[in-house]
Amino acid sequence: MRIRLSSIMVDDQDKALKFYTEVLGFQKKHEIPMGQYKWLTVISPEGPEEVELSLEPNVNPAGKTFQAAMFSQNIPMTAFEVTDIQEDYMRLKSHGVVFTSEPVEAGPVKIVVFSDTCGNLIQLYQPL
Amino acid sequence: MLLGQDTFRRLCQARELLAEVREQPLSIRDVARRTGISPFHFIRQFEALFGVTPHQFRIQSRLDQAKLLLAKGHHSVTEVCMEVGMSSLGSFSDLFWRRVGTTPSAYQRSARVMVQVPGILPPKLFPGCLSLMGMLPRAAFRNFREARPL
Repeated sequence: MRIRLSSIMVDDQDKALKFYTEVLGFQKKHEIPMGQYKWLTVISPEGPEEVELSLEPNVNPAGKTFQAAMFSQNIPMTAFEVTDIQEDYMRLKSHGVVFTSEPVEAGPVKIVVFSDTCGNLIQLYQPL
Repeated sequence: MLLGQDTFRRLCQARELLAEVREQPLSIRDVARRTGISPFHFIRQFEALFGVTPHQFRIQSRLDQAKLLLAKGHHSVTEVCMEVGMSSLGSFSDLFWRRVGTTPSAYQRSARVMVQVPGILPPKLFPGCLSLMGMLPRAAFRNFREARPL
């Protein structure tokens, strides 16, 4: 058993692809039409290449309720590891990304949280 | 942009207000006033946080509610139009067609299923990409198959 695929629900797949590639810097791996939606995955250019993140359409009303509640409670849906959190914080801020705090130390990591504009809060963490 | 906790909370409350269906919908300016943010900053911060303007969010929210009601099949298109707070059937149908790519009645027909199971949503409302893996071409999995164990 291996972890090769993870997913995150997004309110608009086209908007998400633009944000996750052009702003965050991930690369599109698959974009396969499936009816009115698509199988859409991205990977990190820093690897590992075989680990994909699926940008799943959040259509189910239960999913929308869950996502909105998590967001309002300031709870990140997932977290991405970075090497230099301050550098990524400044880079993303220059792209207009909204953060809910500045980078802060939290035990063995430094963390910061931002909105992915697709209904999720995402945490960045840098192991110290 | 760095949002303070108070502003973040206010913008989340504004999103809930915009999703509410009212007989007399609040104007964007009203929502901004209720959340205590100037209309200019409200629209700018809302869009930066949620990726859509307050107006776009309200339209999308109405369409989502309409799609749910249509898919459940218990309401006519006219009833759905009223339920989501729109008074003109023509405007509703036109908006639906422009945003969803089909008419409300065609959407309702396409979402209709032969067997309705109480408590279970029509399949149209849960595309569940992960559960539809069986429809993907083999190439979509080449990445996984060729990956060497770490």
